[in-house]
Amino acid sequence: MLSDVITPDLFASAIRIATPLALAAIGGTICERSGVVNIALEGMMLFGAFMGVVGATFTGSPWIGLLVAVISGGLLALIHAFASITLRTDQVVSGTAINILAAGLTGFFMEVIFHRPGTTDPVARLRPFFSVDGPSSGPLVEVWRWIDTVFLSYTPIVYFAIIIAVAGQWALFNTRWGLRLRALGEHPRAADTVGISVIRGRYAAVVASGMLGGLAGANLSLEQVGSFTEGMTNGRGFIALAANIFGRWTPAGSYLASLLFGFADALQIKMQVFRDVITIPSQFFLMLPYVLTVIVLAGVVGRAVAPAAIGKPYEKG
Amino acid sequence: MSEKPTGTGGFARVARAAIEQIATPVVSVVLAMLIGSAIIAAVGYNPIEAFSALFAGAFGTPRQIGETLMRATPLIFTGLAVAYGFRAGLFNIGAEGQLFMGGLSAAWLGVVLAGLPQPLNIVIMIVVGALAGAAWAFVPAILKARVGAHEVITTMMFGYIARYLVSWLVTGPLKAPGQIPQSVQIAKEASLPRLTDLLPMLGTGRAHLGIVIGVGIAVFLWWVLKYTTLGFEARAVGFNPFASETGGVSVAATTVKSLCISGSLAGLAGVVEVMGVHYRLFDQFSSGFGFTGIAVALLAKNNPIGVVAAAILFGAMSAGAGSMQLNADVPQKVIFIIQALIIFFVAAEQIAKFILRPFEGKKGAENA
Repeated sequence: MLSDVITPDLFASAIRIATPLALAAIGGTICERSGVVNIALEGMMLFGAFMGVVGATFTGSPWIGLLVAVISGGLLALIHAFASITLRTDQVVSGTAINILAAGLTGFFMEVIFHRPGTTDPVARLRPFFSVDGPSSGPLVEVWRWIDTVFLSYTPIVYFAIIIAVAGQWALFNTRWGLRLRALGEHPRAADTVGISVIRGRYAAVVASGMLGGLAGANLSLEQVGSFTEGMTNGRGFIALAANIFGRWTPAGSYLASLLFGFADALQIKMQVFRDVITIPSQFFLMLPYVLTVIVLAGVVGRAVAPAAIGKPYEKG
Repeated sequence: MSEKPTGTGGFARVARAAIEQIATPVVSVVLAMLIGSAIIAAVGYNPIEAFSALFAGAFGTPRQIGETLMRATPLIFTGLAVAYGFRAGLFNIGAEGQLFMGGLSAAWLGVVLAGLPQPLNIVIMIVVGALAGAAWAFVPAILKARVGAHEVITTMMFGYIARYLVSWLVTGPLKAPGQIPQSVQIAKEASLPRLTDLLPMLGTGRAHLGIVIGVGIAVFLWWVLKYTTLGFEARAVGFNPFASETGGVSVAATTVKSLCISGSLAGLAGVVEVMGVHYRLFDQFSSGFGFTGIAVALLAKNNPIGVVAAAILFGAMSAGAGSMQLNADVPQKVIFIIQALIIFFVAAEQIAKFILRPFEGKKGAENA
């Protein structure tokens, strides 16, 4: 039974499930490190997922769809940036408005473009990045099956998320850009004094987080599913925020925390195979990621320290 | 203010304060509708046709007014829930989950309490429904008070958990016989009567007693916030938790109390939907009332009386959306776009204030 659960595709699906969470979580990291709360990742992801499919539908190319998704996430983030940085609106309220706006825009334009609610027409998906032929017989077949599935089976955005996590981690703590970003969220007054534009820096961070949210959405619609369904993000933006907190506001930590969620979810899906043996209703399996999020927050938050100036609008004075 | 608080002067001041209170929300709604119209026009529909169809669908006949009131009813409760939380500095974004638990309790009690007299049933189901909503908010409340886990994430997660719990119950233990995943219908004596059953001359269709209960609770909550220690502590913590703690108010205790009260109000939204509209529970028995409640609370600036007015506005949009889609062909989801825009404009007060500036100028001259 255990060998039915611990298979190469358990790890592969953990990494796949972790990808949209990780991208959004790293988006959250960048945004919150700059001092702006972003609970709108859910909406940015949803909007990106939809616009990606729209782009792919009209051009026939999922790559252009991906580009459209990233730009769309960035544009939605620009509204959040304008509201919370320039107008100094409550950032959580602005984020909520973005989430409702994204649900409204995707639902409305779904009917305008596809003439029905629910799910769009299928589009061409982004294919796995590598296609390597391994041995088909001999003693190495089993080893190759693991290598191929766990390392080489993924679509482009999955690899990109890993690159972003590693590069982001390095950049946040080893570059001028990283130091400035952290200064914006810890002590904006000090950053301003030494000539860093708080406003411009925060705008850039919020828009970057929206682009990553859009990319996360593209991963869902253009890589995992191949179409868009209303509300398909299903709370992932909020789980991503929890992953960002669990990962202590670092890109690598965000990725690893997302991987924990991905692994739990992958295991949950695997366990459903044994529905006849273990008679637990499927709804309880589906609850798991949300329960896990609460447990993670309950266990870790007291010890995790958020950027000091988070949620506070900056007024030049 | 050099004005003496004489009778008429006092009245004028109250009136002016009231106008100041509602100026921003009114401008916000108008702006949101203008942008909504632009979007409708941009994709090739006629916005005037759309909004007249919406208005006719919401207020055209007594029956349609009843539909508006029926749809406003759960929004009064979720709006009050979110507003009470905001007053205490808490964002109960998961009102939807507490609503599901309230609805669950009503769907269960409505079956097991069959046979009790209706008034007694109504009282028991309201009390238990409020407790169910409060219970669902309790864990996020404790986590917020003890370890500082942000209620935006935890209440949201509890919302998803509630949804799957209800989904399991209506396909399993509570399922009515037949193919459809829904609970057994509640007893007649466990339902809320329609207003037309009480006063046939109204002709208000599906509107039910829940709206009267909602308005009553809104007034009660206004009194609680203004005149009781409970309300004062909630407002104090919402305004400045550090000063409150120094002043002898326990922030942790107030946080738990306030989020649970917020949860109980959201739970009541589920109760009235089950008792007054659907008479049973199923997966989709709430069309996002918990989330629309956020827009209602913000538009009302967290004032319980304002919540009633804002809920009726959103209820009208929801009641009219169907006729807008039917008669003007405009996808009804445009009302979510308008709701989101309303939140933006209310929250970003500067925009409305900028538009109102010419009028402010006049008032300023008067005062000088």
